[in-house]
Amino acid sequence: MLSVLIWLPILGAAIIGFLPGIFSAKQVRTGALAITGAVLAWTIFLMTQFDPSNSGLQLQEYLPWIETLGLNYQLGVDGLSLVLLALNSLLTWIAVFSSKVEIERPRLFYALILLISGGVAGAFLAQNLLLFFLFYELELVPFYLLISIWGGSKRGYAATKFLIYTATSGALILAGFLGLILLTGASSFAYESLAGQALPLGLQVILLGVLLVGFGIKIPLVPLHTWLPDTYVEASTPVAILLGGVLAKLGTYGIFRFGLGLFPDAWRVLAPWLAIWAAVSVLYGAIAAIAQKDIKRMVAYSSIGHMGYVLLGGAAATELSLVGAVSQMVAHGLILAILFNLVGIIEAKVGTRELDVLNGLMNPIRGLPTISSLLVVGAMASAGIPGMAGFIAEFLVFQGSFVAFPLQTLLCVAGTGLTAVYFVILLNRTCFGKLDNAIAYFPKVEFSEKLPAFILVALIFFLGVQPTWLVRWSEPTTNAMVAAVPAGSVLGRVGGDRPIATPPELIPMATIPTLEP
Amino acid sequence: MTTTLETPKTKLPPSTHEFADIIHRLEAGGAMLPDSPENLMQIIGIYKAYAVPMDFYWRDLLYIAERVFLEPLPFFKYFLPKEYLDLHNHYAGDDADLRIWRGEATAHPELLEFMEKGEVQRKLPKLLHHLWHDRVNMEFAEECMRVMLWHRNMYVPVNRFDPYLDSEEYIANADRAIKAYFKHNPLMMGMYKLFPEMFIEQVRQMSYYSNLGLFWEIMAPVFFEMSDLYDEGKLTSVPEAMDFLVNGIFAIAGRPIYHHVYIRGECYEIIPKSKGFTWLYEAALPYVEAVFYRTSPFRGTKSYNAQAKQVPDDQKDFHYGILYADVFPVGTAGIPPTLLMQDMLHFLPPYLMDYYKQHCRGEDDMLIQLGISFQRSMYCVTSAVIQALRTALLYPLDDPNPKHLQANRAFFESQLDRFKRPEARLRNIQTPDYR
Repeated sequence: MLSVLIWLPILGAAIIGFLPGIFSAKQVRTGALAITGAVLAWTIFLMTQFDPSNSGLQLQEYLPWIETLGLNYQLGVDGLSLVLLALNSLLTWIAVFSSKVEIERPRLFYALILLISGGVAGAFLAQNLLLFFLFYELELVPFYLLISIWGGSKRGYAATKFLIYTATSGALILAGFLGLILLTGASSFAYESLAGQALPLGLQVILLGVLLVGFGIKIPLVPLHTWLPDTYVEASTPVAILLGGVLAKLGTYGIFRFGLGLFPDAWRVLAPWLAIWAAVSVLYGAIAAIAQKDIKRMVAYSSIGHMGYVLLGGAAATELSLVGAVSQMVAHGLILAILFNLVGIIEAKVGTRELDVLNGLMNPIRGLPTISSLLVVGAMASAGIPGMAGFIAEFLVFQGSFVAFPLQTLLCVAGTGLTAVYFVILLNRTCFGKLDNAIAYFPKVEFSEKLPAFILVALIFFLGVQPTWLVRWSEPTTNAMVAAVPAGSVLGRVGGDRPIATPPELIPMATIPTLEP
Repeated sequence: MTTTLETPKTKLPPSTHEFADIIHRLEAGGAMLPDSPENLMQIIGIYKAYAVPMDFYWRDLLYIAERVFLEPLPFFKYFLPKEYLDLHNHYAGDDADLRIWRGEATAHPELLEFMEKGEVQRKLPKLLHHLWHDRVNMEFAEECMRVMLWHRNMYVPVNRFDPYLDSEEYIANADRAIKAYFKHNPLMMGMYKLFPEMFIEQVRQMSYYSNLGLFWEIMAPVFFEMSDLYDEGKLTSVPEAMDFLVNGIFAIAGRPIYHHVYIRGECYEIIPKSKGFTWLYEAALPYVEAVFYRTSPFRGTKSYNAQAKQVPDDQKDFHYGILYADVFPVGTAGIPPTLLMQDMLHFLPPYLMDYYKQHCRGEDDMLIQLGISFQRSMYCVTSAVIQALRTALLYPLDDPNPKHLQANRAFFESQLDRFKRPEARLRNIQTPDYR
């Protein structure tokens, strides 16, 4: 059942890629929409088959492959990967829907998007480290091509930078995995066989450090982020949606699955530093976003900041913070997708992304009033306004992390305030003010162009008022991950030699007593 | 579509003015608006769409000035009685003083149809149409009246209307009317005793209701006739349209401007016809100056900070009128153009409707497109006023005396100096791309 999520899009990519040239771009797009729609439908079906109360792997598939290398086709889904699979399927469909109807070289474009979808799904499903690595690397070349062919004016530079960074990321991750195998003497890359390894703490810290840098590039975390602004900005809207909404989640997923999951003892040692790293990323992302003059670049920097919350929640590794971190991955994916979608529409209609040029788009007749309104909603969701998914996720992260890292959490809360600052700047200059009569001849935004944003807004609100639907899938899994971390592991402060001031009896407050439906 | 700039037929060297091309065009008998079939279609179509609500405006303005008068709670002042719908326009119909329009003297059929069913196309109680704002927007007309009142004392001493409003004679006439109107209302009479100047000022406002109503009573048939002539193929260029306006201005320049009030069947002449106030000097010129050029910073969605000098100290420096206005409904200025645009939208001729559908966002931004056509058409009207003033005060365009031609040029240049301001739309209307 799980294989469908991988092989249906890859098969679709092959079919679309080898279609004869008689099909128009619109027909190819329709075909891609049908395939991604089928994948999304299948994901929803899988969610109905998934038992949320079970924290272990479900719907597992196993096929021996190259056993001498310890590489087997081993798939499984748990609460952590399920929500990210759903996000991947949804955002791939949204990305295809957000692409231009008359895009150039449509067969290659949609084939690459489908290939990425299959690769990302494989990475989320793989229960074998080498298999994960193969899928992880599978999306590298398609993304490179998507950026370098359909990107903006500096696409060549951005694509090469992306390639170098992510190739380095892959090399570090492979090094970490190989190191783990060599040091433990394991005969297989199977996740379950490596989960109980008992390496010395020092080696664990080194291996975890390698993986953190490898996945940190993908997320990305400051100072490994410099590829992101160029890549996000130069990528076309659908590619930016996939980069920010899905690819970045591979990084956080990798950190949780292979960092926290395989090296819980080392995690205990590094957690305070990870929390500091998260706070630095949050503040840097927010402050850098404030300084931007390009709205797409502003959204790109906001992504750096918001991914920092995920790391904070993971570092704290309390039940509440971890479920918050997973929720933040989903919320961030949805919010970033809507923001990139809307920024893409603004750029396509107005012809610029410059803050100093944009003005008055809320004008009801000649502006882009619906798009502006949706942008306000997206900005509010990103700033963590209650009633929307972003608030729930950030609130869970902050409440769950405060008991472990109060200072770092407070710094991240300040980052949320800064999010409001740069989005107010963005909205004030872009949507409000006076529309310039001389340039306001923008084409009309068709309903079909608005549809992805409507769907995303509906989801953001729904998950904001019904957070149970956001956390119910992942909560047992994340609870199990927290349970695997040695007791009191994250309750030390930086330096780790002093006990936490928080009385132990207060810790249960950080759990979620009423999240079961 | 191309715009042809006429070669000056004068013996003068070319003008060095910023708008030299336009000045040469005016000297050649043209208008500020370039002559093109597209421009002609837009301005004539808009004249037609403007004239139908204007037919309501002038009737209701007179109704308010003559009948509603100082009603303290004039809730029903926009509910025009049949008597005023049937009122004969003095410049249309068989019994006209001067028949400008060949159509009927009573309210226009399209207006009557709209008043009955409104935009919703359903016959509902008049109150519901009113509350739903499915009606002619008299607020626009009242705003025009108010800016004329507010920018009083223009064209003094040529304009004798305003000084008269401060005269003893006028105050005595107003006093008689006020006392008669509130004869059975001791409360209001008491208020009048306490605040006489406030009541007199209200009567002055009523006089401006009458002034504007009498002005538009002429403009409506003028625009209807131009529309008919265009439909018949007898108006073929922008200069011809402007000439029609110039000729009309002179033909009706002497029409008396007065203010009569009818109280319990008796007529009170607050401004008698015998005072000799005329349409051109006491209504048309002040109207153009107040409404086309000046108006006031519209208290709409844009805030002006007077302390930050965003509003000029001197009223004569105000430039918020339609010749300068940004017709966008958000962040705009001047008279509330959206209300007028909304009114005109209901009466657009089919050819203009089709034209707008082909451009920009079609039906979605028709309000803006027609607002900009309205701006073009008002530049044509202003051109007619400038040419009429030149005719009245200066020399013919084909005068053989170069000094006279130089005087004409100086006049044109001084008029166009007012459009050097960056917000003036004169530059924009020179191209068809401004929509």
